[in-house]
Amino acid sequence: MTGEFVIAIVKTIVAVSTLMTLAALLTWAERKQSAVMQDRIGANRAAILGFRAIGLFHIIADAIKMMTKEDFVPPFANRFIHSLAPFLAIFPAIVAFAAIPMGDTVTLFGHTVEMRLAPMNIGFLFIFAMASVTVYAIVLGGWSSNNRFAMLGAMRAAGQMISYELALGLAVVGSVMVYGTLDLMEIARAQTGLFAGFLPNWGIIYQPLGFLLLITASIAETKRAPFDIPEAESEIIGCFLEYSGMKFGMFFMAEFVTTVVVAGLVSTLYFGGYQVPYLMADGFHLPFGLFLVTPAALVPWLQFGAFWIKVVFFCWLLLTIRWTLPRFRYDQLMHLGWKILLPLALFNVAATGAWILAAA
Amino acid sequence: MGMIQSSIDALSGSVGLGKLDDLLGWARKYSIFQYPFITACCGMEYMSAACSHYDVDRFGAGLTRFSPRQADVLFVVGTITHKQAPYLLRVYQQICEPKWVVAFGACVIGGGPYENYAALQGIDKIIPVDLYIPGCPPRPEAVLDGLIKLQEKIQKAPHGRE
Amino acid sequence: MSQHALDRLTDELGGALLDSCSEHGDETACIEPGHLHRAARFLRDDPELEMNMLVDVTAVDRLGRDSRFDIVYHLHSLGRGHRIRLKVQASDSGEAEIRTLTDLWKSAEWLEREVYDMFGVRFEGHPDLRRLLLYPEFEGHPLRKDYPIDKEQPRLPDLAGYPEVDYDASEDAARLLKGMQRTLSPRLNGTAGRNGKVLHGAEAGLRSPVASGTDSRGRTRNLFLDMGPSHPAMHGTIRISVELAGERIVDSDVDIGYLHRGFEKMCENRSYAQSIIFTDRLNYVSPIINNVGWSLAVEKLLGIEVPERAAALRVLMSEISRIADHLTCVAAHSMETGAFTAFLYLIEAREELYKLLERVCGGRVTLAYSRVGGVAADLPDRFEFHLARALAKTREMMADVVKLLDGNRIFQDRMVGVGAISPKDAISYGITGPFLRSTGVSYDVRKAAPYSGYEKYEFEVPVGQNGDNFDRYLVRMEEIRQSMRIIEQAIAKQPEGPIQSEDPSVNRPPKSEVYTSIEGLMHHFKRTMSGHGTAPPTSEAYGYVEGGNGELGFYLVSDGSDTAYRAHCRAPCFAPMSALSSLIEGLTIADVIPTFGTVNMIGGELDR
Repeated sequence: MTGEFVIAIVKTIVAVSTLMTLAALLTWAERKQSAVMQDRIGANRAAILGFRAIGLFHIIADAIKMMTKEDFVPPFANRFIHSLAPFLAIFPAIVAFAAIPMGDTVTLFGHTVEMRLAPMNIGFLFIFAMASVTVYAIVLGGWSSNNRFAMLGAMRAAGQMISYELALGLAVVGSVMVYGTLDLMEIARAQTGLFAGFLPNWGIIYQPLGFLLLITASIAETKRAPFDIPEAESEIIGCFLEYSGMKFGMFFMAEFVTTVVVAGLVSTLYFGGYQVPYLMADGFHLPFGLFLVTPAALVPWLQFGAFWIKVVFFCWLLLTIRWTLPRFRYDQLMHLGWKILLPLALFNVAATGAWILAAA
Repeated sequence: MGMIQSSIDALSGSVGLGKLDDLLGWARKYSIFQYPFITACCGMEYMSAACSHYDVDRFGAGLTRFSPRQADVLFVVGTITHKQAPYLLRVYQQICEPKWVVAFGACVIGGGPYENYAALQGIDKIIPVDLYIPGCPPRPEAVLDGLIKLQEKIQKAPHGRE
Repeated sequence: MSQHALDRLTDELGGALLDSCSEHGDETACIEPGHLHRAARFLRDDPELEMNMLVDVTAVDRLGRDSRFDIVYHLHSLGRGHRIRLKVQASDSGEAEIRTLTDLWKSAEWLEREVYDMFGVRFEGHPDLRRLLLYPEFEGHPLRKDYPIDKEQPRLPDLAGYPEVDYDASEDAARLLKGMQRTLSPRLNGTAGRNGKVLHGAEAGLRSPVASGTDSRGRTRNLFLDMGPSHPAMHGTIRISVELAGERIVDSDVDIGYLHRGFEKMCENRSYAQSIIFTDRLNYVSPIINNVGWSLAVEKLLGIEVPERAAALRVLMSEISRIADHLTCVAAHSMETGAFTAFLYLIEAREELYKLLERVCGGRVTLAYSRVGGVAADLPDRFEFHLARALAKTREMMADVVKLLDGNRIFQDRMVGVGAISPKDAISYGITGPFLRSTGVSYDVRKAAPYSGYEKYEFEVPVGQNGDNFDRYLVRMEEIRQSMRIIEQAIAKQPEGPIQSEDPSVNRPPKSEVYTSIEGLMHHFKRTMSGHGTAPPTSEAYGYVEGGNGELGFYLVSDGSDTAYRAHCRAPCFAPMSALSSLIEGLTIADVIPTFGTVNMIGGELDR
């Protein structure tokens, strides 16, 4: 019992610190990647002991600066809610990650350890429940700031959430139907093996439309460009404009944490999660009968690595989209959500059902 | 070299306010969120300095925040007229501590060529200024030079003793 | 052709036409004040004249005369190409003596407000006569000849103790805030309402902006929002106050003048040559076009022509400036719609052009390249090489941006059909340049009234169809390509010869002579010292060129000295800005940004 408790704590520390490190690195990646796309160099001056580490220390500088910045609550604002909102933004984003499997079970010191934080068979529901809590953060933050621009941002966030939550939920129903479970670990396990003899048996093969819908809706959910309508800096300066220092930093971080969670969800559902192509329990079964033996103890760690590589790839994809596209208008976003994504998601559900029936 | 030296100082200094000062100075100088108060011609050179060729982001000053609450440095770029002056003062007051003000260009420093009824003859008449970048408008190189000087000033400020 | 207009006006008005003359090719008709409206309407409606555009309204303060002010109107027929200047006299009585032309042309609304602001002349029947460029606390009218140029009226006391004032508590600050709000239109300030409705005052919302979304009777209240002057998309110099129902704009007021730096007053206190540096700072994105415009207007007063090579260099450098202008405009409005990368690409191309300009002029932004009677410097060695490289870079970056934006569905959705204006309205507002061309009206000063030898170059004038944001974007992009064509022709067939007119009234000695001989030094002093410079004969002229945003005109009145008695700038972006309020009403907040962006407001030239 104690052993499991220790394992749970260690797992939590490892997973949350990986998540937060990755989110922090994403702030750096965003700066550097946009710099590369825009023919710039990007942040590189902050040095510790003469080492610049390609600008990585700017993250530390930003963090220290934000923590020591004056903490400001606007006059006539609701102090409690104003302070609550940033916590409400970042907490559910971190917690949502608990349902995502980072690898298969491993045996450590005689204990069987499942590589995810919370073994639960309702993974989807948990993630979506948490995702919809984050919008309260923005709505409350915007409202309690007692500022017209922030208020507009909050209204936009609420409208956007309603428009996309539905499409988001329906997009994954297809996957649920295919695999017959809400448990993300089960879904990841089911994606082992090969399809048609040479393709990895990943979810994208069964749910290509679901993937497109999910990634669109989840970018909207992360509220990043082209869906950064609540923030829309050049229009309404953003819904967090009355937040200073680390409270603003927490909203900022929440965005990146959500990006990681979305990347994790997308990889799990459609790209095999922790599955490495052609890797079975005993080694790599490559096409044309090639076989490569891998020590059985190494396999779970290869899978753990593969999961994070996939996550990093999707984070990169989301950043690229963010720096390429202009922003939607409020009503165009509604149009996309209700008139395009929602019918498509419904169609996806119906088509998947028909396909399952036909296959049976 | 100054940078390396200050980093070494930061790590080898005695425990206490001196070391905290250095650490805060180091963090604050490499994390400059600017509030660009851009009105006129100087904005063109500000743009040049901020964009790909000169790239102020290298110095950690790439992020602009249009909310004064989140900004650290107020860049006043371009002529401030008497009509505009109250807005500038208001933005200055809304910026959260610690804050610095950069006067960018001749008009901001002292009215520039506009010695007349409309222009404010220097923003230091209404708000305190930390750094003056002269020029009409200043070249991007001058902007970068000014930014480095501002970083030196931030490093030396008594952060821990506020 | 213009003589024809004057003849017809003489026939129509009879005795009400006090005087008419023609100097420097400009037709002028002096009219009895009471008959101005009739004359203007006749000129507008007469099928043979069709003066459909009111280009400019300004005034001249003839201090010491009984009827102190000349109010000067410039009319233009887009279809027939002729122009006429109308003049009426007004006294300093404070009475509204002249009937407003706002019912004939929409452009008159802001133009007359500016005359009221600057001179204190009232117009009878003007719907909204209040200050345009200055603030409500300002006393007096700065362009009157008896207003001292350096008489400041600060809104804030000096530094002593002031930054410690807490805005939310101090009475002093509250008084100031009130002043900031009084700049608003009475419509939006709660004192009067459009359609008779009384709006809630901005002051009431001051303390608790969003405390309640409903009024005392529980009805939903509209939200009032001030965008600017310090707003990321307002370029620091505009305040748009909007009344919002949800995200939709039901009423708006555009407040300008935050960059009013007294350009005209400065030019009336400096010699013609010295004023060139102020023209740099009008449209600071394309300064050379302003330099050229000013030089041409002064040369018109003097009645001189510049040598062929100087004219060709003016064309060449103007077009480089125009490209920089359009690049900046497209860059800014694409950034504001969220396409940040496109912005950086275009600014990178602009950087190459700045380097190119620096090789010729020695500066990057403020250049003072064109001089009265010529240009400041000839092309340096290997200029062709650097030019070719800069143009190649511009083409490369534009190709990237076209890929990023043109076919981009999100960008199209944001731009197509948004902020559209009909050609008729555009003309009535006095809009020119890319904005007018996007509606399908092909008017370009370079074609309609060629100057500096533009008739010798082959180029197209791109026009749009719908007059919306997307068309304005496309027109600007195409104009960049056409400008590159002109540049290539100009560099290919550059004529040899001097770059400075030999005319004794303007020519400057070469620097080598200035530094080595006493005659050269004296000659130089005679050109540049106040009271000794170029002095055109007593007369007036309106010189105009195609600026980055449209027709850039300088109306100069000379009293025979080396300083302009009256210098007025007809700013190209003034007209579209006056139309902005009508463009954005009914749209959403998000639409304000690209619409305002494609207007390409440049604070320096708008507020002067």
